[in-house]
Amino acid sequence: MSNKTEINLTGVKQSQTVWLVKVPKYLSHQWDKASEKGEVGKITIGKKQGKTEVSFRLNVELTTMGAVGEKDGSVLVPRDHPFTMQTVGGQTLAVYSQSDSDGISLEGMVVHRAECRPVVNDNYMKLKKLQLQESTKPQRLSQQLEKAVTTIFKPVANHDFNLEHDKKKKSEGKMVRAERQVVLDMCFSAFEKHQYYNIKDLVDITKQPVTYLKEIMRDIGTYNSKGAHKSTWELKPEYRHYQSAEEEEEEMQTA
Amino acid sequence: MTSLGSSSSPSTEYTVRVPKNTNKKYSIMGFNSGDKVNCSAWTQARMERDMSARRIYGEEESVDGAAGSEFGKKQREESRRKKYGIVKREFKVEDQPWILKVNGKAGKRFKGLKKGSVTENASYYIFTQCPDGAFEAFPVNGWYNFVPQAKHRTLTAEEAEEEWGRRNKVVNHFSIMLQRRFREQEHGCDDDDDDNEKGGKKKKKGGRGGDLRITDLEEDLEMSSSDSNSSNGDDGESKPKKKKETGKGKGKKKKKKSSDKEALEDSDDGDNEGLEVDYMSDESSSDEEPEKGKMSKGEDHPKGIDEASESEEESEEEKQNEEETKEEEEEEEAKTKTPAPAEKKKKKDSSGESETSDDSDIEGETASALFMKKRTPPKRGGRGSAGSSKAGSRPGTPSIDSAATSNTLRAAASKLEQGKRPPPGPSTDSPAAKRLKMEPSSQSPVPSGKSTPQPPPGKSTPSSSDVQLTEEAVRRYLIRKPMTTKDLLKKFQTKRTGLSSEQTVNVLAQILKRLNPERKNVNDKMHFYLTE
Repeated sequence: MSNKTEINLTGVKQSQTVWLVKVPKYLSHQWDKASEKGEVGKITIGKKQGKTEVSFRLNVELTTMGAVGEKDGSVLVPRDHPFTMQTVGGQTLAVYSQSDSDGISLEGMVVHRAECRPVVNDNYMKLKKLQLQESTKPQRLSQQLEKAVTTIFKPVANHDFNLEHDKKKKSEGKMVRAERQVVLDMCFSAFEKHQYYNIKDLVDITKQPVTYLKEIMRDIGTYNSKGAHKSTWELKPEYRHYQSAEEEEEEMQTA
Repeated sequence: MTSLGSSSSPSTEYTVRVPKNTNKKYSIMGFNSGDKVNCSAWTQARMERDMSARRIYGEEESVDGAAGSEFGKKQREESRRKKYGIVKREFKVEDQPWILKVNGKAGKRFKGLKKGSVTENASYYIFTQCPDGAFEAFPVNGWYNFVPQAKHRTLTAEEAEEEWGRRNKVVNHFSIMLQRRFREQEHGCDDDDDDNEKGGKKKKKGGRGGDLRITDLEEDLEMSSSDSNSSNGDDGESKPKKKKETGKGKGKKKKKKSSDKEALEDSDDGDNEGLEVDYMSDESSSDEEPEKGKMSKGEDHPKGIDEASESEEESEEEKQNEEETKEEEEEEEAKTKTPAPAEKKKKKDSSGESETSDDSDIEGETASALFMKKRTPPKRGGRGSAGSSKAGSRPGTPSIDSAATSNTLRAAASKLEQGKRPPPGPSTDSPAAKRLKMEPSSQSPVPSGKSTPQPPPGKSTPSSSDVQLTEEAVRRYLIRKPMTTKDLLKKFQTKRTGLSSEQTVNVLAQILKRLNPERKNVNDKMHFYLTE
């Protein structure tokens, strides 16, 4: 059942290079709110005193937290995010993509790793404070109720379930002993389906009183008091003719 | 979408897009840089999920309504799980490892394990530059670390630990896998797994794959016997159906020399475990070490035993006990050696190639047989454990244990007696209370070796202590005052005379008959007395 997919190596053949950028959660959250076009901001790459500096600037419309369209003026997501560039180091990272239609394709190799960091200012601190408050809230909360709950459980003279049960019992009446042969046939057909049965289940199937059924079972079957199939009845060896496939299946079960 | 031109500052601006419509899920494939993976050099690659965990997590009972099943088993299991709150972990396909095969069947194989919680706290994005200059960012769904899978055979953890212990000794590391393969074949052919493993272990030590050896003793034996062995051994090694080049076999000749040096082995940790130590002796450990050294030299054995038996006469019991334990060890080795040559022979026959190895076999056998012969005569004195001798392939540890304990018991007993009087000789040893049933036959030689310079006393010889059951003693008692037989018996306690109670009674009866004392009835009891 394994579907071996041939990997599309075109990307890597063309020496496609990519950057792996670690982006904070709030920023990616904002990016999810972007429009259809997908434009989220601008990257500026410049050289300052010999060092390459990369910075990302978030689009204005995405700086508001909360749902799109809402104006939550209190906390704004910071706009400027300088990237800290790192080399890939001890790992060779490749990027592959998986899609339902096209299978797996190797997109390219990672040449740079970067971390997107916000500029730390008061606004950011406020944002962080909010986040912290959110995360420290316990998941479960105990609430004190003013009044006791009276709507769900009411003391009842006799529960519905019990009433039904009694009615059923009355309607069905006591279990009548059927002919011995009939019961035997029922038992054998039951044992054709499964090897081990609990006495209760047999009673259910045959609708015979327990004592009568036990008597019959004592004739044709044995009771397992120990072992894997505890407290179950099974047919005596001379009555059963399970094939050797049974052993295989037993092995499968125990495996 | 258009990239803005550079302004006065030497920086360029690019737009960043996060495409929404893509149905592609991006993941990271990480390799260790030490593996030197160059993806662009791949010609062909295939990847699939490793589903081997499914059968662990999946449903185990596939049997439905067949024999061996119970009625309502599933429901019962489910309710049981709910009752105990057992939650089964789902089998998620996305979390399963990848198996990556590069360049077809002959190429490399990698296993990619998912790195946990990559997307939990921070999101990773892949920034690619589009032809129009803008950047596109794709979120990373998962991170898999790929490790290359070894195609060659490896040692298991236990084997690796063993080899680690031998790393200072074994020079030729090629032989390690060789022997492992050989051993695997043996496990297939032979029934006697125990011996094989034992042999296998020792094989690795000297690196002689062809010969089954149980102890290093054999190694020394064969070393010393002839040098033609080395060539035979080599053939033996390359023989058993291996496709190794003979170059490797030749390499072993050189290694032989190094294994010569291996003959002198340090005692490993577990070597002293099975030894019986007499706890009353003070010098146990110090004595054992040099004797162990003695043991490892092959030809010294017969001499060693002779020396030992000689020294026994002079030394104290303690030392002698240790030597006996040494002898037990040797005997154990000797016993296990006989199955070893038998094993060897069997194996050689099964492979059925060169006869030279047979020669080495026979040589080994004769050498060991010689050993047996040389060893057993002096040993017979030491051990009568006939039951557990050469017949069984198991080392006669049970017998040895009991033999040892019997010795220690006897030693203890005799030591006690030593304080009171010189211990009796062989004739009285046999009736001694401490005699064990295990060694009826060997009593006479043992005590003869064992006994220190004490005179072989008989019943008749008067000794310095006055507890001997002699006529004189009885006479003295009866002269002094009348005594009943019970009193007399009390005087000659079995512990002090070294006789059993039966013997004492007999002897006393005889003495009384001879003395014919007068009788007197006091307090309804028959008293004897003598008047001189």
